[in-house]
Amino acid sequence: MLSNYLKLAWRILARRKFFTLISLFGISFTLGLLMVTLSFLQTELGANEPLSNKNDFIYVEQIRLERTYYDTITVVDTSFQNGVAVYDTTFNYKESGTGASQTEMSNKIVDNYLRGLPSAADMTMFSTSNTHDVFVNGVKLTLDILLADARYWSIFDHKPLEGRFFDSAEVEAASQVIVISTKTAQDYFGRESNVVDEEMFIDGKTYKVIGVYKNNGKIIEYVSPAAVTPYTTMNMATLDNFYFGPFEVMYLKQTHDDAEKLKDEIRLAGTKVPVDHPDNEHDFKDVVLQPMTYNEMYAQGVYYEEDAEDSYATMKWILLGLLTFFTVLPTLNLINLNVSRIMDRSSEIGVRKAFGAHQGNIIAQFIVENIVQTILGGIIGLGIAILLINIINKGGYLGTSELTFNTKFFIYSFLATLVFGVLSGFLPAYKMSKLQIVKALKENQL
Amino acid sequence: MIKLQNITKVYRTKTIETTALNNINLHVPKGEFLSIMGPSGCGKSTLLNIIGLLDEPSGGDILVDGFAIKKYASRATAKFRNEKLGFIFQSFHLIPDLNVIDNVELPLLYRNISGKERRALAAEALESVGLANRKSHFPSQLSGGQKQRVAIARAIVGKPNIILADEPTGNLDSVMGDEVMDILTRLNKDNETTIVMVTHDERMANKTHRLIRLYDGSQVA
Repeated sequence: MLSNYLKLAWRILARRKFFTLISLFGISFTLGLLMVTLSFLQTELGANEPLSNKNDFIYVEQIRLERTYYDTITVVDTSFQNGVAVYDTTFNYKESGTGASQTEMSNKIVDNYLRGLPSAADMTMFSTSNTHDVFVNGVKLTLDILLADARYWSIFDHKPLEGRFFDSAEVEAASQVIVISTKTAQDYFGRESNVVDEEMFIDGKTYKVIGVYKNNGKIIEYVSPAAVTPYTTMNMATLDNFYFGPFEVMYLKQTHDDAEKLKDEIRLAGTKVPVDHPDNEHDFKDVVLQPMTYNEMYAQGVYYEEDAEDSYATMKWILLGLLTFFTVLPTLNLINLNVSRIMDRSSEIGVRKAFGAHQGNIIAQFIVENIVQTILGGIIGLGIAILLINIINKGGYLGTSELTFNTKFFIYSFLATLVFGVLSGFLPAYKMSKLQIVKALKENQL
Repeated sequence: MIKLQNITKVYRTKTIETTALNNINLHVPKGEFLSIMGPSGCGKSTLLNIIGLLDEPSGGDILVDGFAIKKYASRATAKFRNEKLGFIFQSFHLIPDLNVIDNVELPLLYRNISGKERRALAAEALESVGLANRKSHFPSQLSGGQKQRVAIARAIVGKPNIILADEPTGNLDSVMGDEVMDILTRLNKDNETTIVMVTHDERMANKTHRLIRLYDGSQVA
């Protein structure tokens, strides 16, 4: 029986080319595009090198000093009593606004208040936004150089391709050493390897290349810097403000469950920062640190909201909505097609029932047809996904980001499509299988 | 073999009630070749559909080959139709996506027999209607007469006791009609298959054992 259903399914697909084409197009493109989208999200947001620990990250980008302004609001109510104006005045002392100053932190804040938190297993301090123009054979090359401590290499697991990363002794000694990405090696030296011990001239200083890591092409700049040098190579003497400086901090929490605990410890550390320092020129009353997970940080960059958790929730809902939209729409289309396809064959259903098919036989036949169709669509979708990923990678359309094919996602997406395929076949097949034989025979005469 | 007692069929809409069959009593013994005649709309096909358990009467009792039907949508009724009844339709009702032999095999799909045996039985049925050389053709590649012969092969492949034919020659010219009629007559004679045939053609009806006439849903002769 099953082999007959399979044979019939194959014949139906082969003979009803238009329906087959439309259905396969819907299934395969949905799957293909879904795979490419998921692959992009996995590449950009997944826990892969150098973000293998990202699910344990807690990030503090800035420090905010704020105060609330109060003012006296005077309200005069006028009324007439016996033709005489009566004035009723009320005074309200209440919040009239807030003022805040916010930027990256000074090393004093980091060293004095943010180190040694109980729920943190490790932490790194680094400075972004150090853009330098260098000239190679007269051609300008702009490098985003990250200044970091040695723990940076423990938290972000960049893959060393040659040489080594700098250590804490070199940071302490403000050694002018530099670790560069393969892209920078290519841009600066014209080759991706054999550049260790070479020298780079940046802003009048000479740096010795001690290592090269694989370029990862991520969007976040401290994850994918052009080069990294010890933060002490910057002119530390100019960093004289007590509160504000160029530094950000990334923590690695002790256990997977410590996120809220560590966030609370960070917020508490913020409240311990004194506000009576002379550098508090505007008499701010509160110091606020806003810790966030890596995903919250990412979402904050995309959909800025006051609270990073709200941004992440927004991003999740938007992504979920888009994914649902792009899967539900073709599924509805598939159901619609299946309804037409099965209705179109009501006479065949009548004949089959007249010759002894019961309801279960009819339903099984159409479900097998749908499964065959979905499997075919899945195979084509797999091909489309691999093709698109290759085109995107080879064409460099996402900069240096490399999309990878995720088998697990493919299996999940394929199973979801299969479920939709079966359901979309089942509902109309069930309805048609209940049709009276005489009625079925009269419709769509064969 | 077939016993109908007080069979009525009434179609009802919101505004109108139409009596298609009115108190039909009929007994068709085993091996009889019965034809039903009457003007269009007199209820011939409705009666045939009721005998074939394809349609439900509004009233009355029906007994076919000892089977008293209780529920039309049941598996037991489907099994009975599969094993005991064969249908031939005026418009052939062959499945266009299946080739000739697959169309003929169709009733056997719903029996617990091997593919090999199905093939052999289908080939045998096709042989008996003279279409052994058309196994791989699709219905669209056949003439009307050939299509109806395939439909007959499909009706007899499961060796049913009763064949119900709804104007089997209605869409055919006289030569092809005669060929189809010869096959049915031979089936009835050689295998003692009970046949009930609806026809408009007096000449074809005269080749059967007995003729009944319907008029406005009632049996008049």
